[in-house]
Amino acid sequence: MSDGQKLFGALAEFANPAELFHACEKVRDAGYGAWDAHTPFPVHNLDRAMGLGSSKVPWICLVTGLSGAIGGFLLQVWVSMHASPLVISAKPLMSWQAFVPVTFELGVLCAAAGAVIGMLFVNRLPHHHSPLFESERFKKASDDGFFISIEAEDPKFDREATAQFLQGLGASHVELIVDG
Amino acid sequence: MSEPATRIYTEADQLADPIAERAPLVLGGYDFHSVTEVVAAVVDQKAPRAWWIALFASMSLLGIYGVSVAWLVWEGTGVWGLNNPVFWGWAIVNFVFWVGIGHAGTLISAILFLFRQKWRTGINRAAEAMTLFAVVCALSFPTIHVGRIWLLYWAIPLPNQMDAWPNFRSPLVWDFFAVSIYGTVSLLFWYTGLIPDLATMRDRARTKWKRLIYGFFALGWRGSNRHWQNYEAAYLILAALATPLVLSVHSIVSFDFATSQLPGWHTTIFPPYFVAGAIFSGFGMVMTLMVPSREWFGLKNLITIRHLENMAKIILLTGCIVGYAYAMEFFIAWYSGNPYEQFAFMNRMFGPYAWAYWTMVSCNVISPQLFWFKWCRTTPWFLFVVSIFVNIGMWFERFVIVVSSLSADFLVSSWDYYSPTIWDVGCFVGSFGLFFTLYTLFVRFVPQVALAEVKSVMPEADPHFEGYSHGGGQPPVASSAAPSTSEANSDHVETAPFGEPVAAVVTSIDGDQSDGDSADNENGSEGEVE
Amino acid sequence: MGHHVTLPSNESVQLPAGHRLRRFPLIFGVVGVLCLAGSWFAAGGDHKAFYHSYLTAFLFGLSIALGALFFTLFQHAASAGWSVVVRRVAENLMAPLPIFALLFIPLWFGRHDLYHWTDLEHVAHDPVLLGKQGFLNEGFWMVRAAIYFGLWTLMSWWFRSKSIRQDSEGGTALSRLMQMRSYPAIMAFALTISFAAIDWGMSLDPHWYSTMWGVYYFAGSIVSAFAMLGFSVLLMQRWGLLQGIVTKDHFHDIGKLVFAFTVFWAYIAFSQYFLIWYANIPEETSFFHRRAVNTWYVLGIYLMIGHFGLPFFFLMGRTLKKIPWSLALGCVWIITFHYLDLYYVVMPNVHKSGITASLVDGLTAIGVLSIYIALAAWFLGKAALIPQKDPRLPESLAFQNF
Repeated sequence: MSDGQKLFGALAEFANPAELFHACEKVRDAGYGAWDAHTPFPVHNLDRAMGLGSSKVPWICLVTGLSGAIGGFLLQVWVSMHASPLVISAKPLMSWQAFVPVTFELGVLCAAAGAVIGMLFVNRLPHHHSPLFESERFKKASDDGFFISIEAEDPKFDREATAQFLQGLGASHVELIVDG
Repeated sequence: MSEPATRIYTEADQLADPIAERAPLVLGGYDFHSVTEVVAAVVDQKAPRAWWIALFASMSLLGIYGVSVAWLVWEGTGVWGLNNPVFWGWAIVNFVFWVGIGHAGTLISAILFLFRQKWRTGINRAAEAMTLFAVVCALSFPTIHVGRIWLLYWAIPLPNQMDAWPNFRSPLVWDFFAVSIYGTVSLLFWYTGLIPDLATMRDRARTKWKRLIYGFFALGWRGSNRHWQNYEAAYLILAALATPLVLSVHSIVSFDFATSQLPGWHTTIFPPYFVAGAIFSGFGMVMTLMVPSREWFGLKNLITIRHLENMAKIILLTGCIVGYAYAMEFFIAWYSGNPYEQFAFMNRMFGPYAWAYWTMVSCNVISPQLFWFKWCRTTPWFLFVVSIFVNIGMWFERFVIVVSSLSADFLVSSWDYYSPTIWDVGCFVGSFGLFFTLYTLFVRFVPQVALAEVKSVMPEADPHFEGYSHGGGQPPVASSAAPSTSEANSDHVETAPFGEPVAAVVTSIDGDQSDGDSADNENGSEGEVE
Repeated sequence: MGHHVTLPSNESVQLPAGHRLRRFPLIFGVVGVLCLAGSWFAAGGDHKAFYHSYLTAFLFGLSIALGALFFTLFQHAASAGWSVVVRRVAENLMAPLPIFALLFIPLWFGRHDLYHWTDLEHVAHDPVLLGKQGFLNEGFWMVRAAIYFGLWTLMSWWFRSKSIRQDSEGGTALSRLMQMRSYPAIMAFALTISFAAIDWGMSLDPHWYSTMWGVYYFAGSIVSAFAMLGFSVLLMQRWGLLQGIVTKDHFHDIGKLVFAFTVFWAYIAFSQYFLIWYANIPEETSFFHRRAVNTWYVLGIYLMIGHFGLPFFFLMGRTLKKIPWSLALGCVWIITFHYLDLYYVVMPNVHKSGITASLVDGLTAIGVLSIYIALAAWFLGKAALIPQKDPRLPESLAFQNF
């Protein structure tokens, strides 16, 4: 390893979702923390096999959605009653019924934006660089490859032992990734 | 799993008794890799001449649109056939027509997702793209209909020196919010679904530019399951949000009419009736696009006959709901005892626009009834023909509502007959140019089938799939294809006219899938309704 | 998914001999008859009030049975997999439909108290009602009622008996037959429920009209039927039935349906109100004008909050839908508010100045509901608790929610 290069971690490939699933359960049980599984599509229940907690995205979305709806309603009330009070088709200035459509739409807009932006934020995306992209084999992760990566910063990580551990889980290929 | 049996599912399996067995959604023995290959081939390869021809034709129509709109803006809305009392002519008809079409994509993505209709995965990407383009077309019509299009921003509540604000009790302002927010959320939904597939395209890219562009939009996606978990949560929420949104948008469009007091416009069933009509027309357009697409791009094993059949069933269902609404409107118009209501409906049926009314009824209510017959639901060219009728019928529905009611209102002295001008026709025909130009570009540059989603509904995507021998079995890859499959191979490999033939990789699946009691057959749950 | 499932044994899906649900038909039957009889006397000669209370209760019980019928038909039509384990419960909830033909008889006696279009003297001086006489006349009204009950009896009996026959025969032929027949049945259902709602609900105020009315009654009917289905299955599980067959994933799905159709009801109810409010045409606003007085106005607000607002947030998350007691609470809540919704529709026609709650309201509601429950429980004991040879049963047993 030359200067400026440091070990990122180990990358193991598995043949199919079933093997990856069982391997993940074992990596979880072995007590690793800084590790991940990479699949071309979400594998059913793999988050449980990996021991992940529940996602925070719904909470972000609830907050942004409610703020959007409440803010939207207040905007309409303010515009109709104070900024530009006009009597239209004999409706009272504060006609909440007429404000429902826009309130709803703005609530949905903010909730949807909250869901997408919240998801990207929680995932720390966009993040265009990853040492994993150095691996030619890893290109399969978006096609038909099923991978586990264990990062070197994990306290339990050991060059030899971790690689052997992954091999022992039935990995078809294990390689060490160097952050270039 | 006593012997390594290979079963390649074909159309015949899908058309067999669906109660005995749920045949999978992906045919031809594709594995994960061949799904990627088949779909990405369209984007990877050099564009064939046919694509250029399609693009040229679409852009020519778009040119007509450009000229028509330019003349309209220069001269004013007087160039259209609008008169007094028909102030809303084809522009509003076209607007409602396009918004309606724009409903299928989000319906397929969101509602069918919540109802666990896995067959949606084959068509959702293209349908969502179609939705976006239809919404773009739709938005263009109210924009040009205001005449002074440079003042359109007045609909936005912005502080200004005149201290003027939009009137939030106006349905037209709701419309502006509803349709533009619908477009935005649909874009978010579409893009979110696209992220993993853009990563696939990035990883396949052979040129630097492609890698950079796809890579930029893929946001550094690396299939991480810590990401997938949040991604799935966000996707579920988007679906749950888009479902009421899609209902609200066409409901709000219907409010444009139904909040008025005009006979034929003011009727309380309008919101759900418009939504049903929108789904109906949207599926009509998806069918119009999918039947040729699967043929031309070699996607028959991913957009299978069952996808088409299910769409036909939804067209039938929504066609019947629309028929119910026509009948209920008619009945209540009589029951109301209100002579203006009664006249409005008699006028539709037997008045000067009777030709439009009967075109609408034949296309929307009668033609879908053919889908009671299995042959009609499973014959692509026939589906295509009926889908064209659906499109025509739904345009006429809006024409009947807008024009027939306006042209004969309360005062006989103000009645007038509405006829379009060449510029009305130019705008309408030209809007198809806008739509098809965008769609043609889409099929060329974006994977038109959602790769990650299709893979996730394949039987072998399940970590408990019985075809895998647990503990270090052999992966289902091409090299292990059994010799016996060669025959099947030649039958089911698609030859895509869109470039070189796509070699379908035949999978050897270790394990017999055909045992009827296995719960694996759930994959491809035809009518699994939540 | 993917896991092999073991089919439950025949004994485990029968209602045991001494089970407490076996006592339900007798207990609830007696309670129901006593309550209905008592309500007549409690009314103390105020026939108009009695018949309106009774009509509310009648529409309430009927709507739940009709919702269950729709659920069953739709599961066949869509060839649904997940719901097979709860379909028999829904079939038992739709099976009492014929009894409503019997319960309809009092409405015939009360027709003059309920529907003033039956007063020919009055109609002769009312040009609007005169125009409607082709539809709103006693003879045709009875013929239509006979058609509705005939079709509902036929549908509920046929689909339940074919499903039970499959318990012994097995195979896919019956599933296929039921699927084929479910399509015309749904069409017949849509027309009958709409016109029944017009005949018995909308014509209480014969000048008023709304094209949404049929859909409105359907929306309330379907959401309360889902709630009733959820509550019944939860109760059965609490009493030791369907153990290991109906899982929390099924409950989660039923909860989602209750949630979704609560929103649907709100959408339909709001759209109807909103369009009438906005257009402000006198002959239409009369309906809401009558309900904008005094305590009726308050009930309207309560309906918005209780039939939509609270359950919306309560049932939105997945956690509360998976806990039995909280789902049961949600179900009972929805059913209660569905009754109040119908109360809001019917009763302002008699108590014009404001809510006048009385013992009669309670007794008629409990009476009709008890008779309905007695019959549903009786049907429950007559056949297996699940369609045990349905070809989709393994799929339903293995069902996992996402």
